[in-house]
Amino acid sequence: MSHTFNTPRYGFLIDASKCIDCRTCMVSCSVENNVSMETTRIWIKETGVTGTFPDLSRYTVPYHCMHCVDPSCVSACTVGALQRTEDGIVKYDNDICIGCRYCMYACPFEVPNYEWDQQLPLVVKCDMCFSRLEEGQQPACAQTCPTGAIQFGKYEDMLALAHRMIEENPGKYVDHIYGEEENGGTATLYISPVPFEELGFPIAGTTSPAYSNRLVTEGTPLVAGAMLVGLSGAYLTIKNEKEEAEEERRLAEQTPVAAGEEDSHAS
Amino acid sequence: MIEALSRRNFLKMGAVTTGALVVGEFVPPVVAQIATEAGMLNASGDGYIPTMCEMCVWRCGLIAKVKDGRVVKLDGNPDHPHSKGHLCVRGQSGLMNTYDPDRVLKPLIRVGKRGEGKFREASWDEALDLTASHMQRIKDTYGPEAMVFSSTHNLSQVQFENLLYAFGSPNYGTQRSLCFNAMIVANQMTYGMEEPERIYDDQLQYVILTGRNLFEAISTSETGELSEAISRGVKVVYLDPRFTKTAAKASEWLPIKPGTDLAFHLALLNVIIKEKLYNESFVEAYTIGFDDLAQEVQDFTPEWAAPLTEIPAETIRRIAQEFAAAAPYALAHNGWRTSNFINSFQTQRAITILNALVGNWNVTMKASAGESSGALGTPPQPPYPRSSAMRLDGVPYKYPVVPLKLGVFQELRDNIVSGEPYQAHGWFISRQNPIMSLPDRTKTLKAFEKMDFIATVDIFLNDTAWFSDIVLPEASYLERYDPLLPVGSRVFLRQPVIEPQGEAKSALWIYKQLGERLGLGDFFQYTDEEDYIRQQLAPLGVTLDEIRMNGYVELPASEEEEEPSFTWNTPSGKIELFSDTLDRVGFPGVPTWQAPPQPPQGQFYLLTGKVAQATQFATQNNQLLKKYADEPRLWLNNSVAEDRGMEDGDWVEVTSQVGKVHIRLKVTQGIRPDCVYLTPGYGHLSKGLTAAYGVGASDSALHVTYTDPASGSQALTQTFVTIRKV
Repeated sequence: MSHTFNTPRYGFLIDASKCIDCRTCMVSCSVENNVSMETTRIWIKETGVTGTFPDLSRYTVPYHCMHCVDPSCVSACTVGALQRTEDGIVKYDNDICIGCRYCMYACPFEVPNYEWDQQLPLVVKCDMCFSRLEEGQQPACAQTCPTGAIQFGKYEDMLALAHRMIEENPGKYVDHIYGEEENGGTATLYISPVPFEELGFPIAGTTSPAYSNRLVTEGTPLVAGAMLVGLSGAYLTIKNEKEEAEEERRLAEQTPVAAGEEDSHAS
Repeated sequence: MIEALSRRNFLKMGAVTTGALVVGEFVPPVVAQIATEAGMLNASGDGYIPTMCEMCVWRCGLIAKVKDGRVVKLDGNPDHPHSKGHLCVRGQSGLMNTYDPDRVLKPLIRVGKRGEGKFREASWDEALDLTASHMQRIKDTYGPEAMVFSSTHNLSQVQFENLLYAFGSPNYGTQRSLCFNAMIVANQMTYGMEEPERIYDDQLQYVILTGRNLFEAISTSETGELSEAISRGVKVVYLDPRFTKTAAKASEWLPIKPGTDLAFHLALLNVIIKEKLYNESFVEAYTIGFDDLAQEVQDFTPEWAAPLTEIPAETIRRIAQEFAAAAPYALAHNGWRTSNFINSFQTQRAITILNALVGNWNVTMKASAGESSGALGTPPQPPYPRSSAMRLDGVPYKYPVVPLKLGVFQELRDNIVSGEPYQAHGWFISRQNPIMSLPDRTKTLKAFEKMDFIATVDIFLNDTAWFSDIVLPEASYLERYDPLLPVGSRVFLRQPVIEPQGEAKSALWIYKQLGERLGLGDFFQYTDEEDYIRQQLAPLGVTLDEIRMNGYVELPASEEEEEPSFTWNTPSGKIELFSDTLDRVGFPGVPTWQAPPQPPQGQFYLLTGKVAQATQFATQNNQLLKKYADEPRLWLNNSVAEDRGMEDGDWVEVTSQVGKVHIRLKVTQGIRPDCVYLTPGYGHLSKGLTAAYGVGASDSALHVTYTDPASGSQALTQTFVTIRKV
């Protein structure tokens, strides 16, 4: 099996400076995708209220599947329930899923959610509202966002827009497009006025652990025992890479990015 | 009565659920047939139908996706100026209101005691006959004024008013005095209009928001416009004792001491006049009363305001200078509900005047195109009977400048309790919830006890319906027609996207049925909802079927080129810095300082304020909103909590002069130490709201009634509370 990964066709650009934490995206997604009342495909990541009264700040941002170019979840899925389409959408087929949750452990972004309340629990995650795309509509979250914090379009356009937003607004954003390189690149991109770690984003490496997963899921006979051993190997690989990446990030973010960053918010 | 549905997969239930919910005789699927003929649904019944949202009063245009006779998704209509393709979180959740398992789907008649929640189902004929006979009996025995009518700002309001005027009662209870009377009366007195429209275009440079929490009290288009403005680098100064989500996005957050917004704005006026930063030619040409104003504010310096507002004098002076320097591309937002203290009317006057001084008219503010239905037809009707009875809400004899259609709702309630100047005996309420909306809930329940008869029209057993004698089930906004709504140059249609569930009926139908039973049929000359809309459309030369697909029709363009107007509908025809109207009835002609009361030692200001996931007291039962809303808690400053040995999550008892509630604490830096904040609209009494019952605590149980004598506004932050750990 060959693994050449094409650039995603579509992409999200999510701007933490514009999110007002209204949760419209969450309800819109829940309705569109008939998500059960006990789970969700979108979360709000936040810094919490920081600073000292009255010099306070708070940042929030919606968070959902990154749609990796080389998705770890796809490589970890033993039954092929997770697939990356030609368009770069990481899709999930609940008719095939056996509920093993390997994808949850594999995902460096902690995205797949689980229907813990169900007797036959399945995984829940964003599929870019592909059925809406087929009808020429935007994904449910992007379509309705009242402030335009969630943009959706061609991946190249979103990436170019992200760069432009950072370049044209010196001091407003940290100089980092989350998703441009994380895990080998993702279709969901973020820009933010505060370091992503403060928003609670996972620190992901710049290469996908999918390769080591594939060694396991494809290279090993599909015997349960071997699978377990193999996947714990994959887990350790991911864990190790995450730790390395965290250290790398910490060093990078100690260096000031742009002038006036501290003035970008209420003083 | 109605079997509770599982909270899961409410949208999946399709045919089975619909079948189970339908009571009574088979009704052919008219909505689907019409929508198919209009080309909106395909042969399998799938497609998109435009209509209008009703999750708040902003009324965005929406497009409903329909599948197999069920609405499965709502999105904003790009052609509607209020939605521009977006819906907010409440709008997105709207179909959950329609499919709420707590819907009332047959008329109900009370069989237990009031408030016990025991009802029996009845036919429409029985319920309407009984309602009309009670109303007629009260009219015959005590006069029409003994019936109180209340409803607020619905699209069917015009026919609600028709019923009350035809019946002959002067007692009309809107909820506006609990909301924006201060803002509207101030605009009337200054600009001769209810509310100018705000312009957030590329030229805008500076905005002052006085408690207007636009990122939580969402008005979709305006929220989006403010967000874009902030992204463009527009400076936004935000005054609020609480670090709201708007505070988090503002350029500058000023945690002002409650009740002193007036001092802040008077000081801005002082600086702008003293330093001659105002637009002299504009003031000269288009305003009256500048000298009176200058004299009145001469001592209200930033140094005077600083200890009152707890904002440094240099900050106030700087903001005045910045605002004037940005003018005319500067906007002082009137806010929506700023009736926080009885001095809020003066605050509102000061804000309107601040705009006038810098000459931003037709730049960042203009006359609103409004929702005037002048171009539309109306069914013919005879003149209304004259009503000579005094109004129970004291308008105009006690509140001379409050417009009749706004009224003073809390005063109406008080006079129902006192029986002065006469006793009211019946209350007809449509889609309104005075038990939750009025301050001092205990007193509102006393007013209910005074009533021989109460009927409520709603889609749920809201708290008011719970205490009513008859509940008339209305069709939800996705299931019915309403009168047309003009917005700017277009007239928008609310049309049903699915059949009404159960036996629910539109307000247009309910009012007509009651009117006919009360011998007032001549006032309701329309055969059904579609006929009503056809009569409205007749002067435009278009048919209802022609406008279904777009959901709107363009109004014919005015023949004259529209020039920006510089005349105002005030007695002088100018912007009235000094108002002779106010002066003559004994109120200050120019805004002046009125010191607000302050909490005694050990007590806190009780703040309320909206969250994005709720509209007033009407949406807490919506399971989708509940899923994503925060648990309502009492905010307390972290240093105060530490001093008092209280921790996040502790249960506390909150006590005011009129009530007591229990609620969990949220300990946060984001609030002044002299304030606590309670999410309003929770603490429902109705057990018919199964998702909302038992959640949060009621602000109306705590609020003390304080009415501003000028605007009739209820002062919502003038209540002080103590808290103790329980």
